[in-house]
Amino acid sequence: MSDIQVDLAGRAEAALGGQGTVGDYFALLKPRVMSLVIFTALVGIVAAPGSIHPWIGAMALLAIAIGAGASGALNMWYDADIDALMRRTALRPVPRGAILPGEALGFGLTLAVGSILLLGVVVNWTAAALLAFTIAFYVLIYTMWLKRWTPHNIVIGGAAGAFPPMIGWASVTGSVDLGSIALFLIIFMWTPPHFWALALWRNVNADYTRAGVPMLPVVAGEGETRKQILIYSLLLIPVSLVPAMVGAGGWLYAVAATALTVIFLYCAWRVYRLREGPAAEAALKTLFKFSIAWLFLIYAALLAEHLLGLPAFAPVFG
Amino acid sequence: MNPPMVNTPFGPEDMARRRKRAIALALVLAGLVVLFFVTTVVRLGSDIAARSF
Repeated sequence: MSDIQVDLAGRAEAALGGQGTVGDYFALLKPRVMSLVIFTALVGIVAAPGSIHPWIGAMALLAIAIGAGASGALNMWYDADIDALMRRTALRPVPRGAILPGEALGFGLTLAVGSILLLGVVVNWTAAALLAFTIAFYVLIYTMWLKRWTPHNIVIGGAAGAFPPMIGWASVTGSVDLGSIALFLIIFMWTPPHFWALALWRNVNADYTRAGVPMLPVVAGEGETRKQILIYSLLLIPVSLVPAMVGAGGWLYAVAATALTVIFLYCAWRVYRLREGPAAEAALKTLFKFSIAWLFLIYAALLAEHLLGLPAFAPVFG
Repeated sequence: MNPPMVNTPFGPEDMARRRKRAIALALVLAGLVVLFFVTTVVRLGSDIAARSF
């Protein structure tokens, strides 16, 4: 009898499957994150020494973008339980019931394997290995482990978002070099202040508490989070100049990076000083929005420098 | 001639969603065919031009 009940339940679930729209599946790819991945990977391809056939470069970008989408789908498959508890994520396709968890898992795994094979066969296997590591890191290390375990989740997990320019670079050179590590470090160090500014501004503590996710503002409090934002913003000053020290950036990049990071630091200082009222909220909003512009502009400066053929500094290291 | 669909758990809206998804999948597959063909030409093109026969 119980077997029949189980079977019927399985049939009922199967009957409910296959209801997602094309838009729902597109949402599984986290398109906004994907656009950032494509841009930073493009800068990695352009900034890398050497050359790549434009079509092969475009295929590398496509594979990296699909790999990022796969990571998003697998993240939404695993996190459906906590996504359902948070306002920001409750309307995602899996918690909303538009796509079954198994469908999201199958979709994500198919895209992951496809993107890695595409990058390996068409471009090179070093880049493919990095893409495989990035997807595994985001899904296994960040999503399944760190996110629900430590308030430093976003610090270490942010590495997953920092790999795309390194993969783009490896698509050209077939190797991991100091220049690509410099591009990695910029996003790695940028992620915590960017995300914590959003968490404080949107006041999502209640959401994370309900979902049992130990984000820093929940565990350590707003004061400590503001201090950490300031510390990471200070670290961005030397980190943003590393590309110029390892021969990947020149005058244009160095001047743009310095100016942008000084403004970033000023925004972070205001967040640290202003703790209450509309001014504090405005400071958080300004820092969050400027952090997006900062990453775009600093990478755009590097892109422009290489497209214009401007010389890079002689490497201090490497 | 196909028999009319009866006893299906899917209504007209569900079937329309499925149809759109099937069309999207077909377009993706067709796109992949073009991508792989052009990639093959790009990767092998110079070697084919340089062959000895």
